[in-house]
Amino acid sequence: MPLLKSADWPLLIDVYFFLGGLAAGAFLIATAAQLVGRERDRDVVRAGYYLALLAIIPAPLILIVDLGVPSRFLHMLGSFKPDTGIGASAFTLGPFHFKPFSPMNVGAWGLVGLSVCAFLAALSVFLEDTRRARDLSALRVTVGVIGGFFAFFFAAYPGVLLGATSRPLFQNARFLGVLFLVVGATSGAAAIALILSLKGQEARRALGSLRRLIVPALLLQTVALVLFIVAVATSGAEGASRALAVLLSGQYSLLFWVGAVGVGLLIPLALEIRAQRVSAGRMAISAILILVGGFLVKYAITSAGQVVL
Amino acid sequence: MARTLAMFTDVSLCIGCRACQVACKQWNQLPAEEPEWTGTYQNHAHFTDKSYRLVRFIEQKDEKGGLRWHLMSDVCKHCAQAGCLEACPTGAIYRTEHGTVNINQDICNGCRYCVSACPFGVVAFNQDTGRASKCTFCNDRIHNGLGPACAKACPTESIQFGFRDDLAAKARKRVEDLKKMGFTSAQLYGEDQAGALGGLNAFFLLLDRPSVYGLPEKPRLPQNNVFVDSLLSIGGALLVGVGALVAFRERGGREE
Repeated sequence: MPLLKSADWPLLIDVYFFLGGLAAGAFLIATAAQLVGRERDRDVVRAGYYLALLAIIPAPLILIVDLGVPSRFLHMLGSFKPDTGIGASAFTLGPFHFKPFSPMNVGAWGLVGLSVCAFLAALSVFLEDTRRARDLSALRVTVGVIGGFFAFFFAAYPGVLLGATSRPLFQNARFLGVLFLVVGATSGAAAIALILSLKGQEARRALGSLRRLIVPALLLQTVALVLFIVAVATSGAEGASRALAVLLSGQYSLLFWVGAVGVGLLIPLALEIRAQRVSAGRMAISAILILVGGFLVKYAITSAGQVVL
Repeated sequence: MARTLAMFTDVSLCIGCRACQVACKQWNQLPAEEPEWTGTYQNHAHFTDKSYRLVRFIEQKDEKGGLRWHLMSDVCKHCAQAGCLEACPTGAIYRTEHGTVNINQDICNGCRYCVSACPFGVVAFNQDTGRASKCTFCNDRIHNGLGPACAKACPTESIQFGFRDDLAAKARKRVEDLKKMGFTSAQLYGEDQAGALGGLNAFFLLLDRPSVYGLPEKPRLPQNNVFVDSLLSIGGALLVGVGALVAFRERGGREE
C-alpha cells in the first residue's frame, strides 16, 4: 500500500509552470537586449516585454481556477488573523505573511512582483510604439533590472517547490530548480524567435543574437536534465528508483524521451548548432520544437513524480 | 509555551478493535465512507479526509511459515519539524501551544501542497470543502482538559496521552521490558527529539522495523532541500544571465 500521498495537481498547473517560465525567460532576454543590445535587437526588447506580460496574465487566473474560489489566492499572501507558529523563519507584516521556506508562498510574492514589472515594461514599450512618449529607456532599464531578479526567481521556483515535497522523484532531484530556470529561458527565447521569424530574413540579425543564446542554453538544459536524473538515481532514497522508472521507462517515458529529449533538445540542437547562416524559416521550426519540448519536459517530470506508487 | 503534549501508541498492546477509529469518527463528526477491500481486515488502505485514525492490519510470515499479525493504530505524527506546516503557503497550518499541528480551515485555500509535503502521507484533501484535513489531536478536547477521543476509547491503553517527557520515559521502559520478554526487534519510532523531524509528538513502539508497518525508515523534512536547491538555481541563473548578456553583446560574426 502506498504511503505517500500526491497533490495530484492537474494539467492546468503544468500550463502555469510553462507559461510562468516562458514569461520570466522572455522578460530576462528582453532585459539583456535592452541593457547591452544594439539597435538591431530593439525588436527583441519589444517582443520580449509584450510576451512576458501576455504570458503572465493567465498565471493568477489559472491558480484561481485551481483553488476554486477567487479570494483564496489572496490567502497565499496574507490573512486577517494570522496565527503565530506558522513555520521556520516565517514573519508577518500587518495582514501579510512571508514564509522563506515555503516556495509556494514566496512564489506567490514573486508572481506579484514579476507581474508589476512586466506590466510596466510592456507599458513603456507600448507608449513608445504609439508615440505617446519619446524615450522611456531609463524607466525600462530600472524596471528590467528589478524585474530581472523576480524573473530569475519565478522561472526557477516551481522546481524548488517540487523539490520541497516528499515525492521521491522530486525530493531527491536537487537540480529541478536549475532545470526549470533554463527551460524558462529557452522557452522565452524560442517564443521571441518565433515572433521575430514572422518578419522573415529582415529579422535575421536579431535572430542571430537569439541563436547565440539558444544553443548554449539548450546545452545547459541537457546538462541540468542529466544531473537531475543522476541525482535521483544515485540518491539511494526510499522509492527513488521506482519513481524514476515511471519517467524513464514507464508511463511517461514516451513523452519524456520523444517529446522532452528528442523534440525539445536533440532536433533543435541538430538544426541550429552547425548551421552556417541564420534562416528565419529554420529558426521558426526550431522555436516551435523548443516550445513543445519545454512544455513536455516540465509536464512529464511533474506528472511522473506525482504518480502514487 | 505549555508543556508539549503527546500520544504514545504501543503496537504490542493493540488488539485491532478499532475503537479509536470509531471514537475519532464520532467526536470529529466525520461522515461514513465506502469500505474498500485491501486484502486484509484493514479499512481503509490509508488516511483519508474522513479517517484520521486508522488501524493497520499487517500480515507477516513468521519463522515457522505461519502468519502473524502486526496491529498498529496509526495517526498524524504531529512532527516537531512538520513538512505540511512548513509547506503551507497560507499560514493555515500552525503549531498550537501544546506542540501539536493543526489546520485552520478558514485560512486553508486548498492548494494541496501539504498533501505532497507530508513524509507520512497523512494530510488528505477534502473534495467537499476544497480544503486539507487531518487529525487535530482533538484540539477542542485537549484545550478543555480531555484527552484525544482515540486515546480515551482505547481499551488496552495501546494509545496513551499525556505530557511528552512522561510518555517518553514510559515508552523507553516498555521497550526494555519487551526486549527482556524476547521481543528483540522492539523499538521506538519518533520518540528521539534529536532524531528525524525533531521527534514526533505522536510516537510509536514497534515490534519490527518501521518499513514493516509501512513507515519510512528515514523520514526527512522536505524543506531541508530549499536552501541547496535555491543555491544551485542561483548558479544556473548566473550562467543564463551571463549567457544572455554575452549573446547580445557579441560583435562581428558571420551575420555582420
